[in-house]
Amino acid sequence: MNSFGSRILRLGGHPITLTLFLFAILPLALPLIGGHISLATEILIMSIFGLAFNLLLGYTGLTSFGHAAYLGLGAYGFALCELYLTKRVWFVPILSGILLAGIIAFLVGFVISKKRGIYYSLLTLAIGQLFYFIAFRWNEVTGGETGLTGLVRPSFRIPGLFLLDLSNATLFYYFVLLTLLVTMAILRRIVNSPFGAVLQIIKQNETRARYLGYNTFWYKCACFTISGLFSGLAGVLYAMFTYCAFADYLYWVNSGDVVMMTLIGGGLTSFFGPLAGAAIFIVAKNFFSSVTQHWQIFMGIIFVIFILAFPEGFFGILRKQKLFRPKTTSG
Amino acid sequence: MLSHFLNHLFNGMVLGLLLTVIALGFSLVLGVMEVVNFAHGVLFAVGAYLAFTLVKLVGFWWALLISPILVAILGMILESGLIKRIYSLNALYGLLLTFSIAMGLEGLIKLIWGPMGYSIPAPPFAAGFIDLGFMVYSKYRLMQGVLALLLILALWLFLEKTTYGAVIKAGTISTEMVMALGKNLPRLRTFVFGMGSFLAGIAGVLTAPMWGIRPGIGTEAMMPALVVVVVGGMGSLYGSIIAGQMVGIVTGLTVMFYPRLSDLMMYVLMLVVFLARPRGLMGTKSILEE
Repeated sequence: MNSFGSRILRLGGHPITLTLFLFAILPLALPLIGGHISLATEILIMSIFGLAFNLLLGYTGLTSFGHAAYLGLGAYGFALCELYLTKRVWFVPILSGILLAGIIAFLVGFVISKKRGIYYSLLTLAIGQLFYFIAFRWNEVTGGETGLTGLVRPSFRIPGLFLLDLSNATLFYYFVLLTLLVTMAILRRIVNSPFGAVLQIIKQNETRARYLGYNTFWYKCACFTISGLFSGLAGVLYAMFTYCAFADYLYWVNSGDVVMMTLIGGGLTSFFGPLAGAAIFIVAKNFFSSVTQHWQIFMGIIFVIFILAFPEGFFGILRKQKLFRPKTTSG
Repeated sequence: MLSHFLNHLFNGMVLGLLLTVIALGFSLVLGVMEVVNFAHGVLFAVGAYLAFTLVKLVGFWWALLISPILVAILGMILESGLIKRIYSLNALYGLLLTFSIAMGLEGLIKLIWGPMGYSIPAPPFAAGFIDLGFMVYSKYRLMQGVLALLLILALWLFLEKTTYGAVIKAGTISTEMVMALGKNLPRLRTFVFGMGSFLAGIAGVLTAPMWGIRPGIGTEAMMPALVVVVVGGMGSLYGSIIAGQMVGIVTGLTVMFYPRLSDLMMYVLMLVVFLARPRGLMGTKSILEE
């Protein structure tokens, strides 16, 4: 319909260029519309989380409903390392956050990967709650209800040359953007690899994948671990973003939010769905909670309408309008 | 010491019965509609809040009756207006739709009753304690336990001894077959959703004096019920009863020995059961695993 719009979108060529361009200029554009850069930062972090989650949901067809746990574990891994081990070497707390989430995700994946369907959702949900309660009750380590506060964002310095202090909001934004790009590149590589192809077979028909000789258990377990690692990365960034780690990050309602983000973006059919979804979700939430204290009602109604009217999500609408034609992930 | 122990054991058993009531409503909907009903918890909360208002107007017993009926009507409206539209889609959509509905209803609760919580006194006739001979026990909890037990019994009678109950049970096995036999499937689904909502609502009314009410109570009540369903095995009434007792007793005794772990232990129990019996205690292979 809109040939100019579609030409622009095609001109962007590879969607990554388009995304990069959009997000790179966002800090300049935001003040004009009264937004704040922290909003954009939050969108980026949740995009990483959504992409990590979508590896499971969109590509392998596994609905984890306890994914907030791995985001939270990443945040705690980062916070605990900063508070008890070291914050001098910038990458150590970041790595410990990612690793904590990854290791736990591997263990959980090992336990649940024989399952699928609704059972899989319920189990991941309940296991996620297990970690929430550990974080909530283990006061000595996790700070319990008050959480861990007083974290610092790392600063990169090469003596005499330069100093990048991430406590600057704009610098932190670009740091997160860079991380998002690296994440996208890696995840895209994974889903386009032979490994990713097997995941997509599992999504379509696990039994058939098994008959083809693939050990689906290990593929599912590996997928869960990778997803956990990147969720942990998002958690690390989130802990840096808020300067604290709370048990609330692990609460199951947040797991629901990421499923929602992925779905309204169209993650089931598009690699980039979670980005659009995170943007829509966070902007909507911020908008409604700044307008009214009863934002939940509006969010609820909007999502109900969205799910019923556009089950294919944001990218589904675009595709129907022939504006955008990403590679589909489902056959 | 012994009476102390018995007290906690009884608390656990009563809690278990209430969790079974919540879980049965949840698993009926899951069984017949294959929808993970995340609105179940918020319907529980609506029941508790309605009763909070109704008790002042019509007294405890009427509130106990009217409030769940209103919740059931709300549930049936939600089902026939919204939820029925996604049965043909991936199970994920049901899960997200009910999640959104829960979000909206929780907002509505905050709008109507305010964001803060209330503690609710037990009705006057059930306040205080009763001497059971071997121990002194809270009258209200005893009443809760008896009512929950009666409710489970009534549900069992309905499902096992009536024709319509048999149709519902058949619906959990194959909805197509039920439809092929000429039953009105849409009406059956609405009815089952109403019944599930009724159970959530009445459990909400009964637990309100024990837990107090606050807008988040629904999301908090969801999880233990879900654990009961997973431990008991999906689609099994007996499984839910046994699992409810296990979860309740484990929680009750942890409260006595190490209160900090009280809300954690049920998840540990769940993992242990799951590792030993992947389909839960009484679960059988079902379409839900696809």
